[in-house]
Amino acid sequence: MMDSLHYFLISWFDLQLLGLIALGTFAGIYVGAIPGLSVTMAVSILISFTFTWDIYPALSLMVGIYMGGVYGGSRTAILLNIPGAPSAIATALDGYPLAQKGEAGEAIGISTVMSFVGGAIGIAVLAIAAPAVSEFALRFQPRDYMLLAILGILLVGSLSGESLMKGVFAGALGLLIGAVGLDPLTAQERFTFGIIDLWGGISFIAVMIGLFGISEALMQLHHIDKLAIKQAISRIIPSWGAVRKYLPLSLQTSAIGVFIGALPGTGGDIAALLAYDHAKRVTKNPEVPFGQGAREGLVAPESANNAAVGGAFIPMITLGIPGDAVTAIIIGAMFIHGLNPGPMLMIDRPEMFWFIVGALVLANFFMLLFGLTGIRLFVKIVELPRPVLIPLILLLSIVGAYAVTNSLMDVYWALGFGVFGYFLKLYGYQVGPVILGVILSRLIDENWRRAIISDREDLGRLLWGTLSSPLSAVLLASVILIFVSQTPVWGMAGRGWRRLWGRK
Amino acid sequence: MKTKLLGAVTALLMAAAPAMAEYPEKAIQGIIQWGAGGSTDVVMRSITPHAEKILGGSVVMQNMTGGVGAIALKYVGAQAADGYTLLMGAENPQLYKVMGLGDSDYADFTPINLIARGVPLLVARPDAPYNTFAELVAYIAAHPNEVKFGSTGPGGLPSVITAMLSSEVALPVIAVPYDGDGPALTALQGGAIDVMPAVLGAAIEGIRAGRMKPLVLIDTTANPALPDVAPITEAYPAYAKYLPWGPFFGIFVKNGTPDAVVDKLQAAFGEATHNPEFVALIEGRGFSMLNLAGEDARSFLTNWQKTTAWLVFDAGAAKFSPADFGIARP
Repeated sequence: MMDSLHYFLISWFDLQLLGLIALGTFAGIYVGAIPGLSVTMAVSILISFTFTWDIYPALSLMVGIYMGGVYGGSRTAILLNIPGAPSAIATALDGYPLAQKGEAGEAIGISTVMSFVGGAIGIAVLAIAAPAVSEFALRFQPRDYMLLAILGILLVGSLSGESLMKGVFAGALGLLIGAVGLDPLTAQERFTFGIIDLWGGISFIAVMIGLFGISEALMQLHHIDKLAIKQAISRIIPSWGAVRKYLPLSLQTSAIGVFIGALPGTGGDIAALLAYDHAKRVTKNPEVPFGQGAREGLVAPESANNAAVGGAFIPMITLGIPGDAVTAIIIGAMFIHGLNPGPMLMIDRPEMFWFIVGALVLANFFMLLFGLTGIRLFVKIVELPRPVLIPLILLLSIVGAYAVTNSLMDVYWALGFGVFGYFLKLYGYQVGPVILGVILSRLIDENWRRAIISDREDLGRLLWGTLSSPLSAVLLASVILIFVSQTPVWGMAGRGWRRLWGRK
Repeated sequence: MKTKLLGAVTALLMAAAPAMAEYPEKAIQGIIQWGAGGSTDVVMRSITPHAEKILGGSVVMQNMTGGVGAIALKYVGAQAADGYTLLMGAENPQLYKVMGLGDSDYADFTPINLIARGVPLLVARPDAPYNTFAELVAYIAAHPNEVKFGSTGPGGLPSVITAMLSSEVALPVIAVPYDGDGPALTALQGGAIDVMPAVLGAAIEGIRAGRMKPLVLIDTTANPALPDVAPITEAYPAYAKYLPWGPFFGIFVKNGTPDAVVDKLQAAFGEATHNPEFVALIEGRGFSMLNLAGEDARSFLTNWQKTTAWLVFDAGAAKFSPADFGIARP
């Protein structure tokens, strides 16, 4: 116990490590805020760079970047409607409308505090229950991932805006876009028309930058003469009352975040979207409707995506199985530094576990500190006159799209999807379901096929397998429940139920 | 500490310091064919810093994934043959032609160094009712189409191993495809699949912890990393004709690169393979060091392609016959 505490505090009393964590977190916030510059990329660059360092400083920097980067994505999502990273997509849905109302400062303030809460929950679960959670996460079979993906697809209902049909169309389109490229399981060409540049699929980040950033810039051209919104910067740090009000929701969505983060096949992006959907379902009477600047719609994804950081470390440290792309790279880094990440790491090198937990806690505090300072300067961006702001958004989008793989191809994709997104918005289609479809396309495709192949391509066996496993049965029941609750049948059943009971 | 902080800042700005010499005059780009954190990535990222020191220049590495590595191959093939773009790849391109993944393979590239080879083995979930390859074969015969094998798509290591094994014994199993050996081994620990043909390095930590059990090494000799596991030729000598076989990692430049540049790169990476830290990493992960360059590397590549392409074709897993591309039957 004393040993654990000692390892936990290594980074706290070492000036160099402390400095590196702070630097990493600070840099992470800005790397995360720029669309196209991803945490994954930053960490993989650091691998070669920190090669000759000791393991502690190298890990400190990586942990800082990871924590800061996941949070940083919310900045541009709120201010410019360009999610800095896929895990901030849900943040843009209500964050950007808040900025449009002149409440960007408050939006950033509350998302920072809730990211901190989420991050803390994630780390706490990692520290207390890592082995148990990872054993449970391992039990997810292909059919369970498939059901989880279907649960995600049902979010189309929350993201469709005015017309459910348009939402369904947009979601299906997203699934199709995600299917382009070489089939991940058999390497068959799909929708590539013999063009080798399409083999790798359409970069999902480029689609995101196009649909959000570029199409938003084009939309703004309609209002080029309108004066910029004056931002209220009086209240940035949310009041204790506000924090307390949203704390229950934040705790619930943090739990979703930790668990989705701990699953080896899913990460912060899906966690944030599921959390958004959860918030929409449990918040009966939001002060402002969702999609128009509901604070609940900001609290939920921001708690969840930072909770997913701790979650992603759970299978990584206990079993050597990455919880997401970033932890996969950290595993690689540990190999290079002569460690053997795997189930024995916790036994052979217990100090690594506690060191990472300690560093995460510090990174979480630094995130809160750096997140809450400098907001005043940041919100000034939105106060820029539109003829300055619009080219700025376009520039940021193009640079971001290029940075994904340093290829012009992704810039073309982003521009193309930008124009496409503009017309979608013009005709009342939401871009949210499209991006949801792209995110989930692969998860649903691969796991459905894995599930049916495992059951000898026999639908009956698959269904039986689903019903006889408690985990799959619960997931199936949630899918059915959420699906029915979005149809008129639900309302009718509810009224019938009340009549039946109201009569006595 | 100051230098580290300063250094980190430069790294974050992604500034690559240009080195002044005849070659390299500018930063060299290293294109890694597989994703960050995978075996290829780890090997490349750990050998390159040693080679950089000898070379006196910097190599900026980038992962370019997709199309079973074909996209990276195509990219490097499209760059100038000046030695400023290195392909850091694995064995996969040698099967592209028969798999219908393009008309290019390592014949269009000059090997700088074939670094190491992986040793394949079969692992099973710990509660599986078989402990050796013979028991597995007997179990499959009694329960056809029930045992679930993990796979990584056409031309991946599991498909080749399964093809090789099927050439001598009947293996009616279900092949469940995964994105790579990492996710498949995760699925094995969760009970979604029963057996996985994997490379020793990827499975070794799971075996040490008792989370998966080794059935048999697909090699002719026992391995120091797992001395108790029998090589397959002990009970089934017929497999000796295919062995030793395994996935490999190598660094390549496009054909037509000036000899002086190739020589310099070969010398640098050749020397880097002897670095004690790197040797420890390779051995710790259960790989066998190859360190082949020049003609040795060429003949290794040709032989590997002959054996594997025909093996896969005879098992019915290939799209085209190796004969169509002038690949002779071994």
